[in-house]
Amino acid sequence: MNKYDVVIAGGGAVGAACAYFLSRDTDLKIALVDLKKSGNASRASAGGLWAIGESVGLGCGVIFFKTLSKLHSEAKGEEVPTMRPHQLPDCFFEFALKSNDMYPDLYEELRTKHDVDFKFERTGLKFIMYNREDELYADQIVSGIPHLSDQIRWLDAEQLKSEEPYVTPDAIGAIDFICDHQVNPYRLVEAYTEAARQNGVELFLNTEIQSVLKEGNRVVGLKTASGDLHCDTLVNATGAWANELYKQATGKDMPVYPVKGQIVLSERMPKIMNGCISTSDCYIAQKDNGEILIGSSTEEKGFDTTNSLDKIQELSRGAMKCLPILNESNIKRCWAGLRPGTPDELPILGKVSGVEGYLNACGHFRTGILTSAITGKLITELVTEQPTSIDLTPFNVSRFDNDPT
Amino acid sequence: MKKSNPVVIVGGGPSGTAAAAMLGKYQIPSIIIDETSKIGGVIYRGPLRNTATLPHLDDNLQRAMSALRTRYEKHKSFIELKLQTRVLGPEGDQHLLLSEGGGLTTLEHNELILATGCHERSVPFPGWQLPGVMLLGGVQLQIKSGLVKPGSKMALLGTGPLLPLVACQLHKAGVDVVGVYEASAFNKLAKEAVALLHKPKLTLNGLSMMSYLKKHQILFHYGYGIVSAQGDKYLEQVSVAPYDDQWRPDRSQAKPLDVDAIGVGYGFVARTQLAMLLGIEHDYSKVSGYIPKLDDNYQSSQKNTYVVGDSSGLLGADAAICEGQIAALNIVHQRGLLDSATMEKERRKIERKHARIKRFRFGFDRFSARQTGLLDLPQDDTVVCRCEQATKKQLTDAIAEGVKDLTTLKMRTRIGMGDCQGKTCSSYALDLLHQAGHDKNTGVIKPRFPLDPIPFTFMEETLNEQV
Ligand SMILES: Cc1cc2nc3c(=O)[nH]c(=O)nc-3n(C[C@H](O)[C@H](O)[C@H](O)COP(=O)(O)OP(=O)(O)OC[C@H]3O[C@@H](n4cnc5c(N)ncnc54)[C@H](O)[C@@H]3O)c2cc1C
Ligand SMILES: Cc1cc2nc3c(=O)[nH]c(=O)nc-3n(C[C@H](O)[C@H](O)[C@H](O)COP(=O)(O)OP(=O)(O)OC[C@H]3O[C@@H](n4cnc5c(N)ncnc54)[C@H](O)[C@@H]3O)c2cc1C
Repeated sequence: MNKYDVVIAGGGAVGAACAYFLSRDTDLKIALVDLKKSGNASRASAGGLWAIGESVGLGCGVIFFKTLSKLHSEAKGEEVPTMRPHQLPDCFFEFALKSNDMYPDLYEELRTKHDVDFKFERTGLKFIMYNREDELYADQIVSGIPHLSDQIRWLDAEQLKSEEPYVTPDAIGAIDFICDHQVNPYRLVEAYTEAARQNGVELFLNTEIQSVLKEGNRVVGLKTASGDLHCDTLVNATGAWANELYKQATGKDMPVYPVKGQIVLSERMPKIMNGCISTSDCYIAQKDNGEILIGSSTEEKGFDTTNSLDKIQELSRGAMKCLPILNESNIKRCWAGLRPGTPDELPILGKVSGVEGYLNACGHFRTGILTSAITGKLITELVTEQPTSIDLTPFNVSRFDNDPT
Repeated sequence: MKKSNPVVIVGGGPSGTAAAAMLGKYQIPSIIIDETSKIGGVIYRGPLRNTATLPHLDDNLQRAMSALRTRYEKHKSFIELKLQTRVLGPEGDQHLLLSEGGGLTTLEHNELILATGCHERSVPFPGWQLPGVMLLGGVQLQIKSGLVKPGSKMALLGTGPLLPLVACQLHKAGVDVVGVYEASAFNKLAKEAVALLHKPKLTLNGLSMMSYLKKHQILFHYGYGIVSAQGDKYLEQVSVAPYDDQWRPDRSQAKPLDVDAIGVGYGFVARTQLAMLLGIEHDYSKVSGYIPKLDDNYQSSQKNTYVVGDSSGLLGADAAICEGQIAALNIVHQRGLLDSATMEKERRKIERKHARIKRFRFGFDRFSARQTGLLDLPQDDTVVCRCEQATKKQLTDAIAEGVKDLTTLKMRTRIGMGDCQGKTCSSYALDLLHQAGHDKNTGVIKPRFPLDPIPFTFMEETLNEQV
């Protein structure tokens, strides 16, 4: 019989990170099971480590918030109000910033010990301002996070031009979050997975999870296309699909659902960007091979992963406005991925009361690449019954207990 | 579903036009989309013109094409043509994204027929990227355009009936053909194929292809093929050598030929990119590469989406016509315009014909079945993926290190990640994996959306959506 201490369901950034940290810090017998479903978030992601940017609602967040406020006011028949920053609660800042701090060491560790390179690049994230409203918006962002003022630089038009010469001369300046960086998300997952394999984790790739095995109120394993895998602890890291396993493990539903994001990718270009960029229309990042990635829409369309012309146009126009040189390039590829969304935009981590042998590691919404590292660490702490690096109360699934949604 | 909605047909070759004509017969409107400027598909590389200008076809096929043309003309009023329009992929729900005349549009579909044909298989060998090295179809296209000759002194290398045909055409166009090299040995030719090669043709003044070649002293070598091509900036010379039954060249007997152009034709690969983007399930076949899983009506794993013609398996134009017709009949039936009994009767008639063609065709397939020797033509430093400049050694090293599937091979070597989306190199990579014994779960190089790069400038405005 295949018996493990820990079985991890889902091998995206989150599941792979759990496998890596568990195998690095313990001697447990571990298995990871994954089948790449169409729309899995980690492969679709932009790979931004935008700890401050995303926490204050830039990056993926800016479009999310724009969509929300537009829907909201349309529903009420009001004018669309001026945009205000959409700042996440303090617990999220802590979670995101702690994870962000882990990357420089993690990068070295994986490169030197395991010979894998996830292309960590120190880029910063610049919010580009075109007009007075953008400037007000930036002001509000900055005044909302006084404790992080040392991580913010204001650039006037002149400075911006010298740092990002290809940005439109119409821009009046930028704020730069200096601790926000980027990775190649695909390689990050590969790196975690390969390092975990080297540490002895058994990989069941291309393997579908069929159901959760239970005995009473205890989860005892998974039934998979490669047979039953028994375990003491099951970690649910199945991204946007996480509720399926949760339901089988607990008999209840939790609010994790797919939030579709479309991305536009250019052909390879010579290096034209020094850092990552967010505007109020989109975000733009030049990846390690020269391709320029433009993201992203925020749509609730179930598990649909088709591309639609309207979103591709919106994103492209936003990027062309910021980087007119794109007029000389082509769109090489578009795709869509499914973020594991939750109603309060916070992940769902840890135990479920009344169920033994089960941990949630899901709901990472638009920052699961960034927060995969801390999640791996936290899950390791939970499995080994150590005190956790941060307070997990705000992230426990029980926060939805009284909420009918 | 509105009854009056047109059926959307991608590809205006024999199978697509046959489907449209059949639908028109039952007064069902259709829209044919084709990227070229004229319908007819690869067989014409031109308009549906008189069959007399189709010298390369045998008499049966000429008759079939002529009949197709008549049917098409008769039902033309039900058929809308969208030419010089390329389908870039699926868009949103039940729509296609089209690129036409410098802009983008979307088109809704309820019933969709994919009739996208095939493209020529690229076989890499040292020097294959030199200007002057062409695929056979490209050579033919140039002769037919009548504007430029593909070369003045040429050799043809490859397999199958296209070789002697193009040789005759080149000679008629005034090109000095220094030799034709068929990879398979003569004794492997099935009798049907021999008959085809020796059948007199009107356009060759009553001579067969083989006697035409003989008369003009064009040497036809069986069991011979390419080893390498050389030249400074342009092709100047090729080496040819005898092939054994695995198509392994005997390099010790290689001899040089001075040429300024060659046509190379080692078969075709079904064009399945669009079907794959639509999420249709596929199986692997050695002859045609990945082909969609279909039911008896050519309906795919997705309801109301059909795949016909060369894009569902390579059987030639005659068979393509049959398949287009069967898919169309099923739609007519689904729309309630034809009762089951009549439809079955009609279908069986077409199916019998299809089965006959299949038997004949398999004779050629056996003869021209690609052998593993071709895989060894490239040297270690030969580039096998043009777009990403991946060499043969990079691939063989990765496979030696344990890579068992295309996706991992792609991540390691970037093969297939360039603009052609693996059209050129993926069948070579797949053959290599198979040769190394990995024939399960080797995967596919998934086509990307969009199928062609879209200029960012197209994003400024769109043409109106058409429903
Ligand atoms: C367009 C887009 C851009 C983004 N940009 C960023 C960014 O810049 N920075 C950032 O930090 N985050 C970003 N994100 C968010 C980030 O990608 C996600 O939060 C993160 O990838 C979630 O990781 P995961 O491992 O939980 O989910 P996934 O990567 O989806 O992994 C879950 C895995 O479980 C598998 N699975 C599910 N069910 C089963 C089953 N029954 N059997 C077997 N396997 C199963 C899935 O197929 C999948 O492989 C972006 C997301 C999108 C969509
Ligand atoms: C030189 C030559 C000689 C041949 N001789 C013979 C012969 O003697 N006997 C015989 O039986 N067969 C012959 N064939 C094979 C025959 O041409 C094919 O079997 C037949 O054309 C298949 O028809 P089809 O409709 O499946 O595809 P095709 O004729 O290939 O038509 C497919 C069409 O789809 C279009 N298309 C594809 N993708 C897209 C897209 N994304 N957007 C828009 N348009 C698209 C293409 O432009 C093309 O026009 C020959 C082929 C060639 C090239």
